[in-house]
Amino acid sequence: MHEDSIQQRLGLAPGTPPLVALKGVSKYFPGVIANEDVDLAVYPGEIHALLGENGAGKSTLMNVLTGIYHMDAGEIIMDGESRRFASPIDAIAAGIGMVHQHFKLVKAFTVAENIHLGWDATPARISRKALEERTMNLADTLGLAVKPGAIVADLSTGEQQRVEILRVLARDAKVLILDEPTAVLTPSEARDLFAALRAFVARGNAVIFISHKLDEVMEISNRVSILRAGRKIATEWTSDCSETSLAQLMVGREIVLNDMRGDGGARKIGAPMVTLEGVTLKSEYGTVLKNVSLSVRAGEILGIAGVAGNGQRELTYVLSGLVAPSKGTVTLDGEDIGRAGARVFAQKGVGHIPEDRLYAGMAPTLSITDNAVLREYALPPLSNGPWYAPRRALALAREIARIAGVMVPDFAMPARNLSGGNQQRLVARREMRIADKVLIAAYPSRGLDVGAINTMMRYFVEMRDSGVAVVLISEELEEVLNLADRIAVMFHGEIMGVVPAQGADIEQIGLMMGGQRQQGQAA
Amino acid sequence: MSYRLQRMPVAAPSVLFSARVLSVILALLTAAAVLALSGKDPIALGGKVLSSTFGSRFGLEDLGLLFSPLLYCGLAVAVGLRIGAWNIGAEGQFNLGAFAATGVALFVPGPAWLLVPLMALAGMAGGALWILIPTLAKAYADVSELITTLLMNFVALLLVYWVATGPWLDPSGMALATTARLSVSVPYVWGIVHWGLPVALMLAVGLAVMFAYTRWGYEVRIGGANPGAAAYAGMPVQRHLILVMLMSGAIAGLGGMMEVAGTVGRLQGGISNNYGYLGIMVAVLARAAPLGVIATAFFMAVILNGGIVLQSQGLTTHTVLAITGLILFYAAIADEVARYKLIPTTGKVTPKGAR
Ligand SMILES: Nc1ncnc2c1ncn2[C@@H]1O[C@H](COP(=O)(O)OP(=O)(O)OP(=O)(O)O)[C@@H](O)[C@H]1O
Ligand SMILES: [Mg+2]
Repeated sequence: MHEDSIQQRLGLAPGTPPLVALKGVSKYFPGVIANEDVDLAVYPGEIHALLGENGAGKSTLMNVLTGIYHMDAGEIIMDGESRRFASPIDAIAAGIGMVHQHFKLVKAFTVAENIHLGWDATPARISRKALEERTMNLADTLGLAVKPGAIVADLSTGEQQRVEILRVLARDAKVLILDEPTAVLTPSEARDLFAALRAFVARGNAVIFISHKLDEVMEISNRVSILRAGRKIATEWTSDCSETSLAQLMVGREIVLNDMRGDGGARKIGAPMVTLEGVTLKSEYGTVLKNVSLSVRAGEILGIAGVAGNGQRELTYVLSGLVAPSKGTVTLDGEDIGRAGARVFAQKGVGHIPEDRLYAGMAPTLSITDNAVLREYALPPLSNGPWYAPRRALALAREIARIAGVMVPDFAMPARNLSGGNQQRLVARREMRIADKVLIAAYPSRGLDVGAINTMMRYFVEMRDSGVAVVLISEELEEVLNLADRIAVMFHGEIMGVVPAQGADIEQIGLMMGGQRQQGQAA
Repeated sequence: MSYRLQRMPVAAPSVLFSARVLSVILALLTAAAVLALSGKDPIALGGKVLSSTFGSRFGLEDLGLLFSPLLYCGLAVAVGLRIGAWNIGAEGQFNLGAFAATGVALFVPGPAWLLVPLMALAGMAGGALWILIPTLAKAYADVSELITTLLMNFVALLLVYWVATGPWLDPSGMALATTARLSVSVPYVWGIVHWGLPVALMLAVGLAVMFAYTRWGYEVRIGGANPGAAAYAGMPVQRHLILVMLMSGAIAGLGGMMEVAGTVGRLQGGISNNYGYLGIMVAVLARAAPLGVIATAFFMAVILNGGIVLQSQGLTTHTVLAITGLILFYAAIADEVARYKLIPTTGKVTPKGAR
């Protein structure tokens, strides 16, 4: 790609320098090459996608750029000068801001307070009203609608992300980095985000966009750079690529995205493996599950569709024994165990890939070994009576990491040092190991690269074929349609209806997601 | 080429260790400078501290007597930290342990072989009782144990003062503010060092084994690091929290029993001698590792003993406390500084640590 042609295609004056350029950047962790000799230039007006498999070094590269990590070699060039940032505060002062996948907002504060927190432009003494007014003005000029007076904890994920972005843009960022921003958004929230990003780059700024969703990359980006094992493999114009060619560049070989359901009607669906009967759950937020009756049979995949926050999380909690229903019964393989607790559920063969792996499924500060054995630490050979054998735990952790395809240089390292996708792979494998009867998978592909999603879905199908009942919760309707046998749609804690996936009417599902009950179905 | 400081997310253990050693040296140098300014000879004083601590059997025995209560209190706080609870109340639990043990010694007749174990049990029960309310408040009402355990200290301290000067005052009339000498005592192992020390060392090793090699230890680790994950795996998070906090109190209480029945011989106000608070520093410096507590408690004992020697050389308690504080202050700074790395701001750096 010749320099001049880049400016030309982006509609810039010839000779326009990049907003920021990385030259020969390398970053090593003990035993891991996270980045090596990476060059990357981002020009005004472009949305630059960064692609790569799990652990390819995307987040690390951006952490280097924003001063969270320091590089072992290379330089950052802005305005023709070599720069180094000691902290994200330095980086934002230079106009580079990042929104991380796990938000860093103060949940108990209002939006206005969060926007102004730790910002030298905030007046030392200011009334709440003035603060909210300033926020409103910022939101208007930057075209990001937020509610200045709202407490962050009460906002939806999409709204919280908007606050994060506003926080960065308010500090006059010229380069906005988004690390897997759409992984947690509903499709309509993602559309709003894209519109805001296009408006932002139209003002002569740039966005670096990390995502595993190739369709989004195709839709939103001007150029795309691909990392593989820490090295940059290519930078291409997005319009010259296709989803297949991108996937191929990422993994370095052709990957076959096969149709999952495959074998058609030859398969035998067995007796109900897990059944909810009239389950109601009340929490501090009110009635979060209303009279839910549902049955998943052995050898079947039941998809749960619905806009996030309509009771899916609570449903997984009841199905995995984490909470007991206020009313109704949970029957597992013919046995009523609704109140037995999570441990008994797990012992009886219920695996659970949770929605928030960092808060529920893992202890990020503890070692990878400790995290990998969370489900089997109490069983032989790891435990013998009251005794626990750390060596056997290590052996099991190695085994799980191996089948999960996660390269781990040091199992004593805190799990939070793993890349986001590798954490997810590890949790998913750990749960699949114990899921002899039921697997509850909540947004299992979040953070996974295309290849890993494909592998995981293949395992789901294998588990289904071996007689496991699989519950798949996903915001990707397509994923659910491709994989599930039946689809249940949730709205406000209720099941609006259950339809067969084969030949499902997408419009009808959409209506049910909006609260319309399935025709002819009694509640 | 110019250099700049960069903060790292984690510090390498070797760097951390060097920083710790350096911090102690720096603190001692600062203390020496202050002493020199106030007209003392720091080298002579330092020599005196070393020779009277390590140079004689009596010095070592004294050291042992300081080492033991610091071990108990350090372990008590460290155990709490394992499940994410800050036991600021080891001081109070220590007092209560001493109180309960004294009660048994004064009012329960029996042979020594029976009474000493009974006193140990009473001491542990007293310590556990003293943390019971903060524990239940934390487990069931999410009340921060930081404040509740601290407040209980004052009550315990006053309680011991009161019984030692009032109802349990030595009836012989010889003492003004202590109980009578206890009829039984913890047997000696070495000079005036009693069984309290070896028991504490065994306790440290036992705890280290429990945390590393039992299922319970694994569950406590998970529960302390992320209660959400513990609940997800179906661990009884609340039960572990309660048990571990009570254990923490019991260990401090046992320390109090050993102190009254081994070292002091009678119950008196202020018997805890700030060991409970020092235990917090011991545990924090050891990063809550039981075996680490052995090292940091020993270090603290040397400092305390040095302080006593300095006092005998005419330094005020305040000066001694200031020096102690200084060392800890420097250690805390060292932990933070160890995270920084000096890196060049221009030019390429040759990659290292990777092939
Ligand atoms: N603090 C750290 N200590 C040690 N290794 C680390 C640390 N942070 C990242 N790594 C390692 O560096 C490699 C790159 O990780 P990185 O998070 O950049 O991947 P990624 O491309 O963002 O992947 P994903 O798509 O899964 O988020 C991984 O092997 C990871 O384990
Ligand atoms: Mg990442």
